[in-house]
Amino acid sequence: MDETAALQTALTFSLDGERFAIPVAHVNEIIDPLPITRAPNADPFAPGLVNVRGAIAPFVDLRRRLGMAPADLGETSRVLVLDLVIDGEPTKVAMLADDVDEITDAAASDLEAVPELGVRWPTHLIRGVARQDDALIILLDVDAAFAPTPS
Amino acid sequence: MNPAAQSFVQESRDILEDLEGILLELEADPANPKRIDAVFRALHTLKGSGAMFGFATLSAFTHHFENAYDRIRDGQAMVTPELIQLSLASRDHLERMLDAGPDTDGAPASDPATEELVARIEALETGAAAPTGTAPETERFVITFQPDAAALKNGMRPDLIIEELAELGEATVLTQAEDVPGLRDLDPTVCHLSWQVDLKTAAGREAIDDVFIFASDWTLRIEQPGAAADGAPTESAGDLHDSQASDAATPAQAAPQDSRVAQKTDSVRVQSHRLDELMDQLGELVIAQARLNRIADDLGDTGLDSTAEEIERLVTGLRDTTLSIRMLPIELVFGKFRRVVRDLSTELGKTVTLETRGGETEVDKNVIDSLTEPMVHIIRNSIDHGIETPEGRRAAGKPEQSRVIMRARQSGGEVLISVTDDGRGLDAEAIRTRGIERGLIMADQDISEDQLFGLIFEPGFSTAQSLSSVSGRGVGMDAVRRVLDDLRGSVEVKSQKGSGTEVTLRLPLTLAIIDGLLVKVGDNPFVLPLSNVEECVELPPDENTRKSGRSLLRIRDQLVPFLSLDALFGFDRVESPVRRVVITSVEGRRTGLVVDEVIGQYQTVIKPLSLYHRGIEGLAGSTILGDGSVALILDAAAVVRRAQGAQKAAA
Repeated sequence: MDETAALQTALTFSLDGERFAIPVAHVNEIIDPLPITRAPNADPFAPGLVNVRGAIAPFVDLRRRLGMAPADLGETSRVLVLDLVIDGEPTKVAMLADDVDEITDAAASDLEAVPELGVRWPTHLIRGVARQDDALIILLDVDAAFAPTPS
Repeated sequence: MNPAAQSFVQESRDILEDLEGILLELEADPANPKRIDAVFRALHTLKGSGAMFGFATLSAFTHHFENAYDRIRDGQAMVTPELIQLSLASRDHLERMLDAGPDTDGAPASDPATEELVARIEALETGAAAPTGTAPETERFVITFQPDAAALKNGMRPDLIIEELAELGEATVLTQAEDVPGLRDLDPTVCHLSWQVDLKTAAGREAIDDVFIFASDWTLRIEQPGAAADGAPTESAGDLHDSQASDAATPAQAAPQDSRVAQKTDSVRVQSHRLDELMDQLGELVIAQARLNRIADDLGDTGLDSTAEEIERLVTGLRDTTLSIRMLPIELVFGKFRRVVRDLSTELGKTVTLETRGGETEVDKNVIDSLTEPMVHIIRNSIDHGIETPEGRRAAGKPEQSRVIMRARQSGGEVLISVTDDGRGLDAEAIRTRGIERGLIMADQDISEDQLFGLIFEPGFSTAQSLSSVSGRGVGMDAVRRVLDDLRGSVEVKSQKGSGTEVTLRLPLTLAIIDGLLVKVGDNPFVLPLSNVEECVELPPDENTRKSGRSLLRIRDQLVPFLSLDALFGFDRVESPVRRVVITSVEGRRTGLVVDEVIGQYQTVIKPLSLYHRGIEGLAGSTILGDGSVALILDAAAVVRRAQGAQKAAA
């Protein structure tokens, strides 16, 4: 997908007080939290599986990959169901967000390179940052952020 | 490729597959005229239809091949072992030509491999003796045919059909143009003509049928006027001009009437991915139906209850039917091995006969597809390592001719496939030495023979003194286990030194649905394949408190090691009053798995795991339960192996 086009419509959501964005084309649906079946001996990044309307999807914990502390479910917690292509296989993946904000049309020119310093998380998971009303939105690199094994 | 050419390739593959079998039978019974005819017919069909669908090179090559059999049929040559060898090689060559696709320019191309084979075939012809044979009698046939409307669009060539018929003998061809519409209504892509061919031939009815093998949609009538009386060929010229004549003769000639149109509805060729799709959707249906049952139970509405029950019955029927469509006889796998065994034994200078039993046993298509590779490894091992040289066998007081038997039978929800040879058997001492060398067992370890034999499935394990092109590199038997794991099956070896080895594969009947035992470890549901479960017993209270990972349990005078799944899975221990030990049997060994609750038997559809979880050892798939929660399906063999690995690491 074209990077700039992808940025133009992105879904923003919150994790640990930060706003993240992923291209809306990857978002299949947003649903209420679901019971998770734990997979024994699984990578903590993908600790279990969920049933999304009759389809079994791996449940991934993006907090873990971003190095954030685990958190309990809150009032505003939502599950994002994403359509990703993992190693060439179309895969439905579920992830938990603290809150889902909005669909934003950030202009491509707003995208800034990731500052080398002052960022809490691995820069290779991030495509860039955009400013919106003085707030910072972090656009995730979908392939890196959701890869089954960290790169 | 256009659809007609595709169907030619597919049907030609079938013909070549049959041809291999016929050639091998002919080798055993070289004077059988029926088999010689069958070979000839197969080749003739390939030649004719190959030309029609643009496979000119294939057709030209088959011509030489066919000539050789024509001479045998005429009694000018004999079936010799060299001829069979050459025929098998030519058959393989034809297969490669099919793979290569049609010739783009429509002209036969030539390559060194083809020329070499042609030269060898021709050399055989000139060298052959010419015993006299009796020429078959000539018969007269009246063949009336009309191509279907789409024939020309599909690239069919009625002219080639007529040419082929003419090649069979003396033919008079009459074109019937009554049905051609006026120019205004004429669709030039539709064939409006029909033909009547009056043929005198010695080739027989089947040869004529073969000419039309790819024209199954055509209207075709083959009659044998005066077949019974054998003597009224007088009005041959007259009735050709009277299209009514043959029609009038029809009622009287009911017996030889061709009923192709009725025949072709007997079976349908379906691409296998469509069956997979059907199975997928059925899987969804089974899960949705389980959900419906649960909701009906909760609501307690009688009308809904009875409807849910009826739907359950229908879904079960639909599932059984769908599964049965996917079942194929295991003979499809066995059949491939006649050739493998023959070639291998020739290469290694051993005389081996292959016997197959229970080939009619049916297995899911996906299982069949994956079975060839492990079977090749097992057969190669048997013939290369197991079976002695003819001298060795004589010295051991065995008949020079050795036997390999492939057997299949169904046992409950499993299919057992065994390969037995009467060779030298496994050398337990050599395996022990090698096992110690490779650090797989301790030098002083007390280990049963069965467990020792299990070592041959370890990667890179080979006791062979020398490498051959066939086996001995230590790849192979571990590949067998890997494939069997993927198929949720297992493999066992039994061997008696000096008298032979038996390798048995246990496979599920189908990969799509599993009969399982639903258990809970903590709050997490898991499904154990029922085929691995022997029984469930209560966990003795004193054992319950023990913290160690693994211990022994006495079950009817036998000590069975058991381990706790929560410990193995790294789950926190949940206090449960109903902890049970599920006794599993994997590759002949019993292991107890401690679970927190046994819920019951559960038939379920297997969903493959995503890439996030596929690599976890011990998990075979996932499924959705009636309450909508996701359960993981365990691979009992891998769980037990993992447990043993953990045990070894701890020790």
